[in-house]
Amino acid sequence: MIVCVAVVGHQNNPLYIQSFTEADDALKLHHIVHCSLDVVDERVNNPKKTGPLLNETFLGLLYPIENFKVYGYLTNTKVKFILVTTDLDVKDADVRNFFRRFHAAYVDAVSNPFHVPGKKITSRTFAERVSTIVKSFGLSSAV
Amino acid sequence: MVREVAESCVDSLLTEMVASYCNRFYANKPELAARRIEAIGYQVGHQLSERYTMERPRFSDHLEAIKFICKDFWTELFKKQIDNLKTNHRGTFVLQDNKFPWLERISIDPLTDKVNSAEDATTAENKATSTISMHLYYPCGIIRGALSNLGITCAVTADISNLPACSFVVRVKA
Repeated sequence: MIVCVAVVGHQNNPLYIQSFTEADDALKLHHIVHCSLDVVDERVNNPKKTGPLLNETFLGLLYPIENFKVYGYLTNTKVKFILVTTDLDVKDADVRNFFRRFHAAYVDAVSNPFHVPGKKITSRTFAERVSTIVKSFGLSSAV
Repeated sequence: MVREVAESCVDSLLTEMVASYCNRFYANKPELAARRIEAIGYQVGHQLSERYTMERPRFSDHLEAIKFICKDFWTELFKKQIDNLKTNHRGTFVLQDNKFPWLERISIDPLTDKVNSAEDATTAENKATSTISMHLYYPCGIIRGALSNLGITCAVTADISNLPACSFVVRVKA
């Protein structure tokens, strides 16, 4: 289950962060997302020499912490997407698929002429779309 | 879902936008009109670059990003690529389009065609040049917006010395 997703701007400014837990642990999840930014930087500045995978937007598993796994994605425009999940057995393909759909939702949200670039995403449509994507995560039937 | 826009609509919109800004909103301040038109282009380029770079790996250097603008970005906008790219490898890139679609259907006010003297001819020509360059602030803004969203701060100007070819000069700021 996905417990938290976040969009972080190119100056490491939070653009959107949403947790999906019943418990009151937003602060803890925000902390995890915050920590992951360093790992993203590290990945980007010291890329593994793996041929065609170089500079891929999907950064893979950033780090496991407690009972969470943190995944990252960095777009061409230096916007980071962070995903925190409690599933321990996650398929890479599922995560890739999630980020692809999440990116599409993000692009649609920032294409809104009333959205100010670099400011938080307040669109309700975006929030709804994200929660749909989050709910369908891991269900192979969802495309 | 892919949504498409008719080319002629975009052409008309561009012409009308330039006309409104030059003749109505900022009739006496052409520099201000130019800045506003460029700013609209900047926003459009900023948003489009986010969309069109979605499925591709990150660019490792400036040249790669410029090549993306020349090939994929231009294809998405105009169904053609930039015809010629030159660079001095020190931050200046010249993107030449031999038949820029947004200039193809521009005509100058027929009243200015009635030339009586050599002086009139020069005035008419100057007017034509300034009208055409007004229409190029928008694409310049698009290029600047797209590049700046990809992390490249730059200045973009257009050169129309040999029409209908048109060159966009990108100067990357260090």
